Amino acid sequence: MKGIRNILALALAAVLLLSTLGLAAFANERVTITYSMWGDNEEVRVLQETIDKFEQEQDRIHVEIVQIDRADYVGTLNTRAVGNNLPDTGIMAEDAVLMWAEQGMLADVSNMYGEGEAKPLDSLAFTFDGKPVGYSVANEVLLLYYDRQAFVEAGVTPPPAKAEEAWDWDTFVDIAKQMTLDVNGNNAKSPDFDPNNIKRYGVMLCPDFWQLEVWSVSNGGAWYDAEGNVTIGEPAAMEALQRIADLYLVHHVAPQYGTNTATNVDQDLVNKSTAMYVNGQWSVGVWLGPAKNSDGLDYGVGVLPYMKDKVTLNTGGVNVAFATSKHPAEAMEWLKWYAREENAWGLIEGGIWMPVLSSYYTDEALTRKWVENPNFPPYDEYKTAVVDYAFNNAKPTSWYWVNNTNLFNDALSSILAPAWSGNTTVAEAITAHLDQLKAANQGN
Amino acid sequence: MAVTRVKPSAMARHEARLAKIYLIPAFLGLTFLTYLPLLSVFVLSLFKWTAIMPKPLYIGFNNYIRLFTKDMFFWTSMRVTIIYALLTVVGSVLYSLAVAMLLNRSIRGRGLFRAIFYVPYIIPAMAIYMIWGLLYNKDFGVINALLVQLGQPRAGFLIDSKYIIPSLALIAVWTSGNLIVIFLAGLGSVPRVYHEAAEIDGATFWKRFVHITLPFMSPIIFYNVLLSLIANMQVVVPSLIYAGSNRTTYPEYTFMSFLMYRTGFINNELSYASAISFVFFVLIGLFTLVLFKGSKNILFYESGGN
Amino acid sequence: MGIQSRKKMERLADIFSFSAVVLLALLVLFPLWWMFRSSLMTNPEIGSLRFFPSRWLVQNYPEALEVFEYFKYLGNTMSILIPCVVFGTITAILCGYSFARLYFRGRAFVFGLCIASLLLPSIVTLIPLYVGWVRFLGLGSTYWPLILPYLTGGGAFNIFLVRQFIMTIPKELDEAAKIDGAGSLRILVQILLPSIIPAVIVVALFIFIGVWNDVLLQTVYISNSEQYTIALGLRRFNGSYGTDWKLAMASTVLSILPGVLVYLVGQKYFVEGIVMTGLKS
Repeated sequence: MKGIRNILALALAAVLLLSTLGLAAFANERVTITYSMWGDNEEVRVLQETIDKFEQEQDRIHVEIVQIDRADYVGTLNTRAVGNNLPDTGIMAEDAVLMWAEQGMLADVSNMYGEGEAKPLDSLAFTFDGKPVGYSVANEVLLLYYDRQAFVEAGVTPPPAKAEEAWDWDTFVDIAKQMTLDVNGNNAKSPDFDPNNIKRYGVMLCPDFWQLEVWSVSNGGAWYDAEGNVTIGEPAAMEALQRIADLYLVHHVAPQYGTNTATNVDQDLVNKSTAMYVNGQWSVGVWLGPAKNSDGLDYGVGVLPYMKDKVTLNTGGVNVAFATSKHPAEAMEWLKWYAREENAWGLIEGGIWMPVLSSYYTDEALTRKWVENPNFPPYDEYKTAVVDYAFNNAKPTSWYWVNNTNLFNDALSSILAPAWSGNTTVAEAITAHLDQLKAANQGN
Repeated sequence: MAVTRVKPSAMARHEARLAKIYLIPAFLGLTFLTYLPLLSVFVLSLFKWTAIMPKPLYIGFNNYIRLFTKDMFFWTSMRVTIIYALLTVVGSVLYSLAVAMLLNRSIRGRGLFRAIFYVPYIIPAMAIYMIWGLLYNKDFGVINALLVQLGQPRAGFLIDSKYIIPSLALIAVWTSGNLIVIFLAGLGSVPRVYHEAAEIDGATFWKRFVHITLPFMSPIIFYNVLLSLIANMQVVVPSLIYAGSNRTTYPEYTFMSFLMYRTGFINNELSYASAISFVFFVLIGLFTLVLFKGSKNILFYESGGN
Repeated sequence: MGIQSRKKMERLADIFSFSAVVLLALLVLFPLWWMFRSSLMTNPEIGSLRFFPSRWLVQNYPEALEVFEYFKYLGNTMSILIPCVVFGTITAILCGYSFARLYFRGRAFVFGLCIASLLLPSIVTLIPLYVGWVRFLGLGSTYWPLILPYLTGGGAFNIFLVRQFIMTIPKELDEAAKIDGAGSLRILVQILLPSIIPAVIVVALFIFIGVWNDVLLQTVYISNSEQYTIALGLRRFNGSYGTDWKLAMASTVLSILPGVLVYLVGQKYFVEGIVMTGLKS
């Protein structure tokens, strides 16, 4: 018996030795790393071209795409985490970044950029425990899109393209009223206006819940303070959200918040169901550019109206390296390469991403290189309404420094549901549930 | 013949051995897919564990304390789940029974109608919710188009707290064509002589229904109410589809299964989600028990009444 | 009341029931028609009350196929479905047969466990099973967690169904064969199987419906769009694409087709099966 065990042990040792040798022999071979992303086949195609370019420049790292739908992206990554099957790198939903970092799933990327290397804007870094765990792959800001033709027909001034000229809230509501039409063609200022039979709304808001934060910030409030404590119970933050609810409840210029469940702005503009639409910059590349080409949509872009401060929010999907990767060095090398503007040019040129390097916002030649192409609205308009606006007026969305924003937003959106339909007020709803919101912020 | 006759006892042993071989799949299923996981769900709920924590941390009943005292979704979730299940079960049974009784008369093309009522049952869930998503849509839906035609305001059937649960329940009733078929067969098994005798006695339709049809059908109805209750309490698909991530979370969509799914699979708290699962298990167990108890009374009453 | 007037009443009742049934049947079919008519319209027209498209836009279908990769999804769905149906049915027959005909000590107990598991809501054990499949067996990015459970008799319900069916066959039939020295497998295949064919088809159909209907398990276990099934493919219309209703409805029409075909072919068994399960238990 003992003899057999010895032989077995020897054999095992031999196998181990051989496999180590084998691994060593392969160490100079190409390493395959995986990169997970959301997006449709068009985005996969663009990304694959980028990867091909990466592989032409070097032959040590091979990158494979893992395509996952946006609707179930984080859930899918969780499945993979449970199965020890995470990709090496990937784009990450903003609201999950800090939670994943807290759970130790994301690699610390502070060493990704050496001294003096061109880094992405600091405002685009997600930090946990003082260490960066990922940079936004792109810059995105919230904007006000509009149907240019509709404004011409109504003889109404379209949304301003300069932050200095931004509408205050009352002006915005007044214009939205002029642009809201019922089935008989009366606008919302007319005494004959029929709010139950609206044909075209003045404005629609994208139903992505996190975007609502911009209004609280615009009103001089905030959902959290700099330390990440919940401050949404303060009057300015709540008042702003009530104004959003009132667009539907009082002014009849927008559908009830959250009821236009589609996020593709082009459809509502093409169908003339709305005159203005608030959504992120990516809309230019994902929907509006294509709609301009195929449906002849003549859209314009302006800055958001303001309540007290002229601000917009910036955000951007985050490229992270997962802590479980067996090839962290290669993973970061790929991310670093990918983060360079010229390498993600397909997405930038298409209007889906905005560059993350400040030079693109300050150097006119670079700005022109980026913006002057047929996918975009006219240069002058886009320059002030998007480029300058993003550079001067954007504040980061809270998930850059606040953990558990997904739990908080789940809770808040549920709490506010009755306020949108007017069954309660925003202030009542939030005040009554403030403890629960604070608990959600703490991860409960 | 080459086959030797086996002694009965040897044959019985042989038979027992064979049975155990054939039943291996069932053994495996019952052990590893049913009862062991049920045990683990409880064990896991006593720990703090997320997908990548190397080791679960024992925390006793803390997950339950958090669930009952802190979780803002839990009680809502329990409420909407129960309301939805009751509404759906009662709706489906009434609808199916009514249709089955109509079909049970000698109606022309009965087979065809039976097939038609059954069709929704074979449409996959995802497609069902896509179709109704359109019908109920506030801007594109036919129901709202009708409302506008009638001069009524549009209603957000899937996005207004008032309407969500009834709207979802109606979808579930629509798909309950299988019950119609079952009830129809059940009605067919009621001996005609009873009805004929009752008719000669001048019993009204209602009397016949209460004294003949119902007693005969009650075991069938009971059994289907039970199964349909268990199935409907597990409702999750409409939430997966209509309550997408990042959007407004209407409390009416946070059914218990969905709460568990979101906690475990989106927010990554597997052990906390296990606590939700276990509470859910107990809740369904209680409902089943009550139903069994209640059914005994009904059955007794009827046998006494006859 | 005279015979005459009673007859009259009966006829009135018949007319009433018939019209009620026709009306209800139309209502039941209406959502399906609406889906179909919407799949052939422009988006703005979908929101109108038009019963028929003003122009039948057949090109919505090729357009839908560009975003909804139907044939890929269908192939993926089938590669889950077929093993489930085939092996699920076989194991259900073996287990049902054992419970019905082969005696062993503890049979009643095991069968009791089997029946009790019918009352256990399957969603309760989702998390431990998920951890088991994905963490301990490393099957996270495969279809195995969706298929393997069906290899355990296709679920307690189907085992039960087969057992009930075999119990209705007179025991003398297989006793005679046994005395002739036939093995139990031969008895099952040659003698019992031909008489339980309806039950077998019903079990197969139930497993088909179970897999065909599933959304949650597929959502949980499938982690790559290359593996997407029809259900997950349809779900995309609520995600990144927003809802382009004409394409969504065209895709929905396509995705219910296979099920409808199976239904048309197996309609008789479907109905019989439903009746069996609803009444015999």
